[in-house]
Amino acid sequence: MTTREETNSNRLWAVAGGVNIRTKILGIVLALVLLLGAAVTLQVRATVSKTMNIQLEEQSVSASRDLAARATDMILINDMYSLHQLLLDTEANNSNVRYAFIVTPNNQVLAHTFGDGFPQNLLVANTVETMEHHRTVILETDEGKIWDTAVPIFDGQAGIARVGISDQQLHQTVENITTQLLITTLLVSAIGITTAALLTWVLTRPILQLVRATQAVGRGDFSHRVNRWANDEIGDLADSFNKMTVQLAHAADEHAEREQLRVRYVNGVIAAQEDERKRIARELHDSTSQTLTSLLIGLRALGDACPQPEIHTRADELRNIAARTLDDVHMLALQLRPSVLDDLGLPEALERHIADCRRHYPINLDLAVNGLESRLPPNIETALYRITQEALTNIFRHAEAETASVIVEKREDKVITIIEDDGKGFNPNQASHNNNHLGLYGIRERIELLSGTLVIESSEGHGTSLFIEIPLSPA
Amino acid sequence: MRQICVLTLIILSLLGCTSTQDQPSIYLSDRSPLPTIEDQAVVPLRVSVAAVISPKGTVESYQPLIDYLSSKLNRPVELVQRRTYAETNQLLQAGEVDIAFVCTSAYIAGHDDFGMELLVAPQVKTEAVYYSVLIVPFDSPAESMADLKGKVFAFTDPISFSGRVYPTFLVTELGYNPTNFFERTFFTYSHDNAIMAVAEGLADGAAVDSLVYDFAVQNDPSLTQHLRIIHRSSAFAIPPVVTGPQIRPQLRATLQEILLAMDNDPEGRKVLQSLGFDDFVTIEDAAYQPIRDILADTPPLTP
Repeated sequence: MTTREETNSNRLWAVAGGVNIRTKILGIVLALVLLLGAAVTLQVRATVSKTMNIQLEEQSVSASRDLAARATDMILINDMYSLHQLLLDTEANNSNVRYAFIVTPNNQVLAHTFGDGFPQNLLVANTVETMEHHRTVILETDEGKIWDTAVPIFDGQAGIARVGISDQQLHQTVENITTQLLITTLLVSAIGITTAALLTWVLTRPILQLVRATQAVGRGDFSHRVNRWANDEIGDLADSFNKMTVQLAHAADEHAEREQLRVRYVNGVIAAQEDERKRIARELHDSTSQTLTSLLIGLRALGDACPQPEIHTRADELRNIAARTLDDVHMLALQLRPSVLDDLGLPEALERHIADCRRHYPINLDLAVNGLESRLPPNIETALYRITQEALTNIFRHAEAETASVIVEKREDKVITIIEDDGKGFNPNQASHNNNHLGLYGIRERIELLSGTLVIESSEGHGTSLFIEIPLSPA
Repeated sequence: MRQICVLTLIILSLLGCTSTQDQPSIYLSDRSPLPTIEDQAVVPLRVSVAAVISPKGTVESYQPLIDYLSSKLNRPVELVQRRTYAETNQLLQAGEVDIAFVCTSAYIAGHDDFGMELLVAPQVKTEAVYYSVLIVPFDSPAESMADLKGKVFAFTDPISFSGRVYPTFLVTELGYNPTNFFERTFFTYSHDNAIMAVAEGLADGAAVDSLVYDFAVQNDPSLTQHLRIIHRSSAFAIPPVVTGPQIRPQLRATLQEILLAMDNDPEGRKVLQSLGFDDFVTIEDAAYQPIRDILADTPPLTP
């Protein structure tokens, strides 16, 4: 197949595919009926024309032979009146006869049916040898085709009889037949269209119902069922569709149940983790810090009480170690669970965390918090704090960024958090399945538990942006 | 798309076939008067043959004679036919024909009316005589004219001697009125048609020229299975060849000479054979006296 044909067939498909089944079936029926009608009409026209042409020729021959036989005596006895009468009768008795005339052996017109005058060139248009049976020629005249037959009268001794048969009636007949056939074709077309419309309604009704049902399934409505209208392929399709929706509904139920379990489990894990961290932080703060403080006070007292400079120095060293340990314990407790998050809220906690980060990492860090005058629900505060913590840890570990910023903004019914850096970036599509990005997975998990959304914009060499949106439930 | 184009082309071409028309070569509506038939440069000799036999039969029998005369005279000769004997006589009287083969009663009428003259008479079996024969269908019970009373009778020509005058004479002899002796009569205007009318049962009887009858039987022997002769008249002088009163004496003499010499010429004998004659002889008006007598005894006939 050449390219052009392919293009044509594509175009054909585009046209055929662009219309619905109803139009296709109607089109097929209409095209078939019209094609058949046209073919039959043309065939009948051709056949009738051919048959009638043969008949006209035969009629022309028989009329002129009859005329020749009957005219013989009249010509021989010079009975011109009877001869003229005979010609007129020949014309009158056969509606196809256009003219009749007698030619003498000297090639002169003896009698004719034209009344006034005689058509030019007609006399020489046909002739016949004396021994011939007849000779027929088709003359093209201003009145259409004329089958002109010449028959010798009395073996040519009395001249030649000429009769012209016109095809006007034939044309009329052929036109009538054509008209009737075309009317029949149109009637059959009308019936065909009605039938096809009915047929397409029967055919497309179950299909349209299936379409509506699949749309419902697409929306997540598995309760839709379709009727089995007919015992055919479409009926089978309906059955199998119904079976599929039942199974889908079942699967969806199972999935929802599992999801619920998972959410509850994850929530439980996170809550337990937070509680555990809180307990350890408090323990570190309350018990370990107190002990270390007591140790510090004890070491100071020991140093002051002992006059020996060696022991004094030694006690100072120990007191410094104890003071650093106390700092470390504070830091650890803060990281585990900043009590400031529970006590003063998210902005303050973030502020302190950022300040800590600035101390420990060589990077420009910005924080902007808007609209958080009132406290957010504790689970959201915790989640946003942990997400920010995780994201910043990722930036410090992997991004090689110079600058990073955190923006938290409360809108009417949601909290938007944006964390950006100018680091080396990554391909977010490949990140989700990478173990190095377990942190990202944790972020996503936390957001989904709160019915929020996470959008990651990043490409290699162009930094990373996390857009986090968490709805605030009306409660 | 290309298929659609092809289909359209086919349909258009088919429509085109029916609508296109060749340029007419003849205009039937454009008529002009026919040229009048010009007088021939050479005046032909015109020969008329009375309708003893049908026009076609006449042409078949007499065309060889016409051709023979034409070659002897070295001028065209035309055969002129008319339906009735009377019309032939009128042609002779008007000089529209030069010589004519006429029936005996037509000769007598023409001779007495306008001076028709005897040229020669054909001779068959050494006699210049003929008979009127009464014929009936083969299975007819009729044995004489008396048995044909109340039947259908076919006359040849209104003034034919053998076909009209003689049978009427027979009826008169039987003592009947000829006008109501037959149930019905009709004219066939030639003897061969009268023979066929009886053979085909259209008529129950007819009287015909014996020469024509013999000639017909000779051509179609099966006729004797359909016909039989129930009466034969006495011999009458044969129908003659005559000239009109206006013929030039020299032409008359030449024609007589040619006709009389025909049996000495092989060509002429062939022509005589096709006419059913042996030769031509001269004949006197007196030979037709018996016919004149019978005509005188027969009541006047309506045509």
